[in-house]
Amino acid sequence: METLKPHLLTGPGVKFELEQISSARIEVLTGMLPFESLLKSAAEVHGHLCPGQVVGVRMAMLGCRLIGLEEPTRQDQIKKLIVYVEMDRCTADAVAHVTGVKLGRRSLKFMDYGIMAATFVNLETGRAFRVISTEEARSLAPSYAPEINQKYPQQLEAYQRMPDSVLFRVQQVDVAISEFDLPGPTRRKVVCDQCGQVVRDHREINREGRALCRLCAGDAYFSNAREVTWPDMNRVPERSRQTALSGDQNGRHLSNAGDPCWSEKEFKPC
Amino acid sequence: MLKKIKLKDAVGTKLAHDITEIRPGEFKGPAFRKGHTVCNDDLCHLQKLGKNHLYAIDLAEDEIHEDQAAAILAAGLAGEGIVWQDDPREGKIKLIADNDGLLTVNTASLAAFNMVEEVMCATLHNHTLVKKGDLVAATRAIPLIMKRAPIERAAAIARQSGATLSVKTLRQARVGLVITGSEVYHGLIEDRFAPVLSEKVSDLGCTLEGVIFAPDDAELIRNAIQTHLERGCDLLMLSGGMSVDPDDVTRKGIRMAGATEMHYGSAVLPGAMFLVAYIDEVPLLGVPACGLYHRITVLDLVLPRILAGEKIGKAELAFLGHGGLCKDCEECTYPHCPFGK
Repeated sequence: METLKPHLLTGPGVKFELEQISSARIEVLTGMLPFESLLKSAAEVHGHLCPGQVVGVRMAMLGCRLIGLEEPTRQDQIKKLIVYVEMDRCTADAVAHVTGVKLGRRSLKFMDYGIMAATFVNLETGRAFRVISTEEARSLAPSYAPEINQKYPQQLEAYQRMPDSVLFRVQQVDVAISEFDLPGPTRRKVVCDQCGQVVRDHREINREGRALCRLCAGDAYFSNAREVTWPDMNRVPERSRQTALSGDQNGRHLSNAGDPCWSEKEFKPC
Repeated sequence: MLKKIKLKDAVGTKLAHDITEIRPGEFKGPAFRKGHTVCNDDLCHLQKLGKNHLYAIDLAEDEIHEDQAAAILAAGLAGEGIVWQDDPREGKIKLIADNDGLLTVNTASLAAFNMVEEVMCATLHNHTLVKKGDLVAATRAIPLIMKRAPIERAAAIARQSGATLSVKTLRQARVGLVITGSEVYHGLIEDRFAPVLSEKVSDLGCTLEGVIFAPDDAELIRNAIQTHLERGCDLLMLSGGMSVDPDDVTRKGIRMAGATEMHYGSAVLPGAMFLVAYIDEVPLLGVPACGLYHRITVLDLVLPRILAGEKIGKAELAFLGHGGLCKDCEECTYPHCPFGK
């Protein structure tokens, strides 16, 4: 499949086939794509088509509509959107895909609640809606797709037929976002008083006047850490000669991935 | 918010809801209506109804009373041909047929509606023939007071794809009958199909435009169909020749007449060899010989739906299977039996 470059799609009168567009490159198009296109590309990105993709795509479309960002992947809207997903299931991938939010852009927040819900926040207006996938929808799948008798194919079809009112409940919520959680440059760095690790974005723990990283504060998800050496330690990724020479004076390479996360005037790595 | 008050302290307050009285086998209804001001004379009666406390209501901004809820729910459920009065009795609103016709229930949206906490709606079976003024459904909210949002969500669910409940008027079709079978055509036996079918169509308000007899000859059956269509018939019924014998050529005749769609076989007994075909928008119903013996067959399940404007295809005929078995009772009580439900 040929991956079209974004700037090729923006000119007047340019025709293109949606099928040919890599899912990662749809953000320059205007308007939210139709449901079926989004479902298809969500399934490609996720790795398979499943009921969770249908719920996720529809959850994202509804959430964006509610907060008035109907074209969330457009450059001027993507910076206004933050999405909190409350589960790490198939649905989460579809929500992230449709909205374009990303962990590394700090626009995707993972709240490990095990709840099939996501909250969509418009940073500009402050309005936020929590969209909750209803448990009833599972029970109702046989009513909406009675001609299909296998559980997953039936859910896959039924979740496309149900209206939003059956598939979701919605709450308007207030979300207080700390400035240290917002997208943009790193706002604070401290050095762990115990191990010397740099900790970004106010994630340090203050204990008896000392700033500790979470690991030194005893909040590690691993244990028994031992520093090791490994074979072939001096490996460097291979690049063609042309690529190696095309970087600019700061060592960066030309990118078409949208706005950089650093200032052009003052280049500071994040 | 609900506040519990002792009965003796309730004199002078207004009742927050209807209070039901049940005298077994004699009476069930409101002994006191919502809004009634409790006086000393009422205390004894209320105690006999088991009331030692009453509720005083203080509604928060996002709360509603069961009577308001019932009206929101009824408005969501009621589609064309359904009327209701905003006068809840014991929190319940009745939905009434506004005309003769076929009750149509969107069973998926009804199920979704009833899955919402704190609301309920009970209906007659889908596809029941009803008369103007018949009670077809009733709805209510379960608690005395509740949040408004779930009630409005339930009403929105009820409104999906039009509305959950409607009574569709049956069109007065101009019916053409084709009686097939060489034994009838040549006078070896007397036809008994035409009287049976003509009574069924006239009972539903249709007009019998004409009866054509045809032998077991596909071309002549085709000609009979075309004659009816040229006469302006907008519903055709063909009897006999629907089985598996070599002389059964009715289906071939229907195909030769230009059927654009043909569904042979229904999940109903009696009526497994029933056929529904369409020539453009005109439905053709192939009635197997069981229609001569059984008072009620698949035809009685399908014909009202066709007259109500429903397109009957493979899925509709297949979905009749559950409940599609006639018990062949000595005394037929249809429609007051499980057949077709």
